[in-house]
Amino acid sequence: MSKTILVVEDQEDSRRIMRDLLTSAGYEIIEAVTGEEGVTAAETHQPVLILMDIQLPDFDGYEATRRIKAKPALRQIPVIAVTSYALSGDDVKAFDAGCDAYVSKPFSPRALLAKIREFLN
Amino acid sequence: MQNAPSSKITPKVNSISRRFSYTLIGVITILLIIFAATVIFFDINRIESEIKRRLDNAIEFAQNSLPTPLWNLDYVVVNDFVDALFLDESIVYTKISWEDKVITEKVRHGFQVQKLETALPSTLFKGSKYISKSSDIQFKENKVSTILIVMSRESLRKKALLQIYGIIALSIIIIAAIWFTSIFITKRYISSPLLKLQESASSIANGDLDTIVDKSSNDEIGLLAKHLDIMRGSIKGLFSKLKESKEKLEEYSRTLEHKVEARTRELARSVEELEALGEISQTVNTTLDLETVLTSIVRHAVQLSKADAGTIYEFDETEQVFIPRINYGVSDEFIQAMRDSKQRIGAKTVLGQSAEKRLPDQISDLANVPNYRIPYMKQTDFRALLAVPLLRKDRHIGGLVVRRKVAGKFSEAVVDLLQTFAAQSVIAIHNARLFHEIEDKGRELAIANKHKSEFLANMSHELRTPMNAILGYTELIIDNIYGEVPKKIQRVLERVENNGRHLLGLINDVLDFSKIEAGRLTLNLSDYSMQDVIETVLTSVEALATEKNLDLKVKVPKELMIGKGDEQRIAQVLLNLIGNAIKFTEEGEVIVQARVSSETFFISVSDTGPGLSEANQKKIFEEFHQADGSSTREKGGTGLGLSISKKIVEMHGGRIWVDSIPEKGSAFRFTLPVRVERQMEQK
Repeated sequence: MSKTILVVEDQEDSRRIMRDLLTSAGYEIIEAVTGEEGVTAAETHQPVLILMDIQLPDFDGYEATRRIKAKPALRQIPVIAVTSYALSGDDVKAFDAGCDAYVSKPFSPRALLAKIREFLN
Repeated sequence: MQNAPSSKITPKVNSISRRFSYTLIGVITILLIIFAATVIFFDINRIESEIKRRLDNAIEFAQNSLPTPLWNLDYVVVNDFVDALFLDESIVYTKISWEDKVITEKVRHGFQVQKLETALPSTLFKGSKYISKSSDIQFKENKVSTILIVMSRESLRKKALLQIYGIIALSIIIIAAIWFTSIFITKRYISSPLLKLQESASSIANGDLDTIVDKSSNDEIGLLAKHLDIMRGSIKGLFSKLKESKEKLEEYSRTLEHKVEARTRELARSVEELEALGEISQTVNTTLDLETVLTSIVRHAVQLSKADAGTIYEFDETEQVFIPRINYGVSDEFIQAMRDSKQRIGAKTVLGQSAEKRLPDQISDLANVPNYRIPYMKQTDFRALLAVPLLRKDRHIGGLVVRRKVAGKFSEAVVDLLQTFAAQSVIAIHNARLFHEIEDKGRELAIANKHKSEFLANMSHELRTPMNAILGYTELIIDNIYGEVPKKIQRVLERVENNGRHLLGLINDVLDFSKIEAGRLTLNLSDYSMQDVIETVLTSVEALATEKNLDLKVKVPKELMIGKGDEQRIAQVLLNLIGNAIKFTEEGEVIVQARVSSETFFISVSDTGPGLSEANQKKIFEEFHQADGSSTREKGGTGLGLSISKKIVEMHGGRIWVDSIPEKGSAFRFTLPVRVERQMEQK
């Protein structure tokens, strides 16, 4: 059974890197560009894991995570926040919103993959 | 000067002379009375016996003379004899008889024979006035007749009485004489000198110390007087000393009083002025609201100069006119009139003149200035005007004018005071102008700073995004995600990756630093384990140490207390220190140590690197500073790492420093309170 990962990311390059990385690692990926799309896609596709960018065009990744975690069907899906802020307190915000882990941009694809595997194995 | 009441000193005197006289006279009188009584007593007895003797003599005379005539019955002779007897005027009655027959009888006029019986016998004064005796007359043993002679005591008594009166009179004369004499003597030698002395003493007592004491006599009183005079002298000496002292004291106290009074007045005035000045300078220093300051100045200026109204004008440089800025004690109409008067420098007003002369100017009575430049002033009841120019570095700032309803010159002190106030006004106006400038600049600066921060935040984001892509793609290529990459290209790509990470590090440092500078870095305080932090950091640098063949040692006790702080930032500090140690050490070891003492973590990272000179030890924590400028590029880093670390440690309330011996190595040490409950303010 192929594992589907939802990538919520508005930047094309980031999306592409994740896609190339995860596809080559054998995952299937679903992409969403806005928070709204991300929440919908999570409901529709029931992914095994969500990579959530924080800076999104409509509402931020924290809000999207809160909405996803508010739905009982989606609550157990791990959400890894990908923040480009690297500011002090971002981790706390991420955990408060319900994220299970966080990776700061620029991320190392190798490290990201390692983090994903922590959740999926 | 106090006068002793004389009644106390000279009470009703029981005069010595009088007492002496009374005593003397009493004694003398008694003596005289005794003497007189004795004399009279003896005299009466003497008279009594005289009478008796005379009666006996008369009887005897009769017995001797009468027998013969009687015998012879020669009655003429007998009568002659009786007449002869009657020569003695005491004899009042004589009777010669024979048996019951009266031979002859003679009665002195006034004597009544009938009373004879009752009149007999007695003493001179008691009882009868008369004394009688009868006897027989015999002739040769034959009784020839009987004779009775009665004698009156009257004449003798009269004589005796006369004598007694004489004695009494004499006594009285003697008493009087003695009395007068004694009075005279006592008065002359005792009372009078004593009285004089008493008068002198009384006079002295009453304060007349120049009283002349008569000490001419050389008796006891004279001695007393001499001593009194000596006493007077010494009292006078003392008194004059006392008087002198008192006068001095009075003089002192008078001058002191005057001085104190004058000084008090002066002080009160100074205090008032100082208070006003104090208040003003305080206002100048604490209030940047020009209106408040100037209002305070005008009010004090008017009150202290005893004027009724005042105005501070501000000089409008573009219009070249004085504009009333702050007013006290005048109507709106008045202010408008002043505004309309458009006074310029050199105008024929106190303000215009003082501005031109750059000195205070005054008009002591407007009544003497018929055509004052501001006609409105004539409608007011102000009489005296004083203007002081406000100058700053010879530039006109404005003017201070006070107005008084009472004509007269303003004193120099007031002029001086107003000049001080003017100076304060200048400072206040200048301060306010500066403040406005600063405020404007500050506003501009704040805006610029905000722009800078926003720019930096945006920049970092904008820089990171492409970096993300560059690093991500590079890594994917190296990992052969896009197909097999030749080793040669792979090595080049690794260099690209390293440079990219370095660039990212620079971007992060600059961002952190600018955030710290902008005061926007906030610590995220939560519980952490120091062991875990150290371990995490070591994990990330282990590879580097191994690469350089360095011995990376850790000396941390098993059980360290759970700390509270910003774990990520503490890790950043450690990473920076350990990273540097590895970076600058070519051989040897890097030791990380941690311990807890008195609620504080003591962390040290020591190496066997090149060490730091003393000068560099001090500068190393400054921004953009590395021990050796050239090594920046070679070793990587921005030169911000240590200053960021320092800020982070200080924000935790800790301290960071370095101990180093050149050529031997360095030990970077820092302390952190175990439990940091709030972020320290950055200087």
